[in-house]
Amino acid sequence: MTTSKTNPREPHAQPYYITDPTPLPSHIPSVPEIGATSAPLLSASYFIGARCAPYNEDFMLCRSQSRSGETDCLKEGRRVTRCAISVLEDINKSCQAEFRKHWGCLENENHDLSRCRLDEAPLNACVSKFLNLTKVIPNSDGTPINDYETPSFFQKKVKAKYEQ
Amino acid sequence: MIPFEALLPYGVIIIMFGVAGTGMSAAKLLREGGNKPRVHRDAWDKMMMERDMRLTKEYRKQSDEPIAPEDFKTSSVWRASRIWDD
Repeated sequence: MTTSKTNPREPHAQPYYITDPTPLPSHIPSVPEIGATSAPLLSASYFIGARCAPYNEDFMLCRSQSRSGETDCLKEGRRVTRCAISVLEDINKSCQAEFRKHWGCLENENHDLSRCRLDEAPLNACVSKFLNLTKVIPNSDGTPINDYETPSFFQKKVKAKYEQ
Repeated sequence: MIPFEALLPYGVIIIMFGVAGTGMSAAKLLREGGNKPRVHRDAWDKMMMERDMRLTKEYRKQSDEPIAPEDFKTSSVWRASRIWDD
């Protein structure tokens, strides 16, 4: 690759890719990584948030307060990973069909949650029945999503269809 | 009554538009594995799709395994700029 001295017209920043196959040092406890890709992770995100809120907030607080970011907060990060893995394992054990239908719909619709409500309703019902995890919108008044008091017309239609 | 020969060009035009549209749509579905193409991809979506590629080794193939394969831990790719020391 020519340097800027021999060719002054060459741009100074040329991106190239770094890979690093060395594993972590052995004094750091090893934890399995999450194997879910983007659509299943988005579908399960509210349930991961419902169960793992303390660990997630711990990690975010630690990271914002530390100087070097994530390298000081590996312990909290391990807890976050383990909790999310536990949620995914439980969903796969009890609600796999509804889960796969919902993330299949999301993958088709550009990961737009508002386009997959019909597939989301049975997933919410199944997860709240078997795992006791409810989807709650953050920064709202905290109503669980399936229990609105005055549901909209579409929600009434969905409820009528899935609670026959 | 219009002779049918006069309507043949219209048929040709409609069929050609149809074939072109169907071909485009089929090509896109074939590429995206049966799904509609992703649009309005921002940096987050690009990052997640690159992570999906590292996990499943195929474009837009999803997996809902809780635990990743072992080679995922060391398969990260960072983009860097070259710094000249002159």
